[in-house]
Amino acid sequence: MDQEDDAELLAAYRAGDGESLGKLVEKYKRPLFGFILRFSEGREEADEIFQEVWVRAIKNMNRYHHKNLLSWLFRIAHNLMIDRMRRSKPMLSLDTPMNTEGSPLGEQLAAVCLGPDGEAGGRELGLRIEAAAAQLPAEQREVFWLRMQADLSFKEIAKIQKCSINTALARMQYAVSKLRKELAGEYRELQKAGI
Amino acid sequence: MKTKKLEKWLLLEQSGELSPRQLRRLNRELSDSEEARVLRSELRRLKGVLLTPDVEPSPWTVSQITARLRVENRPDMALIRILKPVLALAACLALMLGIGNFHGERASSASPGVVASAGVDVWDDPIGEDLNNLENLIVAISGDSNDVMEM
Repeated sequence: MDQEDDAELLAAYRAGDGESLGKLVEKYKRPLFGFILRFSEGREEADEIFQEVWVRAIKNMNRYHHKNLLSWLFRIAHNLMIDRMRRSKPMLSLDTPMNTEGSPLGEQLAAVCLGPDGEAGGRELGLRIEAAAAQLPAEQREVFWLRMQADLSFKEIAKIQKCSINTALARMQYAVSKLRKELAGEYRELQKAGI
Repeated sequence: MKTKKLEKWLLLEQSGELSPRQLRRLNRELSDSEEARVLRSELRRLKGVLLTPDVEPSPWTVSQITARLRVENRPDMALIRILKPVLALAACLALMLGIGNFHGERASSASPGVVASAGVDVWDDPIGEDLNNLENLIVAISGDSNDVMEM
């Protein structure tokens, strides 16, 4: 994902080319929406947050200085979700029905996961890892997904979480070590299957 | 190298954040230690098995974002945004003036000298007045001039 392209598309949008916004949204929709969906209470809320992220990004375009646009979008999303949680949060558990269909958060998160291109074994394993990761504390879970799926660097993650790189790294280490304990069998599978 | 530090460095290697010097040291560690190699392959496979989610926002998201931006960029909305702090300031000033006037009026209508010389409470007491009227009415109905409280 080329940062030059992003800057050009943003400049074009600013100059009145409406289509360039569509191109940007298209480019980043999967990782960004996937991340938002993991931390929100269903698709409807995720859609709302996703839109709000872009509206805020476009309104504050002058603060974007040719750095990683995706990382900046994640930062906006992170702040929006923190605001929402502060406003409305009773403690959530994995068994809490989160949407109108009443499916528990754990199932929703598992349902979010892998694309059809995943190998059967890897897909199954991925599902189990996703479900286990859903039980991590929010900060560790966020680092885990930002690193493992959004592919952000620890420097970018630290910026998003407003902490030091060492703290972000420590959260990741805690997450990995908890997953290792939780999924001892699956980890062995990882080792020998070479998936 | 201790396991914790090793894991930290492997994570940094994966994200491309190790300095060339650290990278050289890590490579030495990897060639010497079986534990290091196992940890690295585990982290790589973990990342490999978690693919990008197959979910997308609603198909009309872009048009909704564009519509919202259009509304928020309308000249009248921009004017309201600019005027908002001015209006808020004016409202605060009006409120402060109102409170000031209220206190001023109260002070002038109830100056301590007047209260002392009249020897009465300056506050209106509509409930006390109503009670008196009620008492008079009861006395008039009963035709008895006894104190109604003794009934």
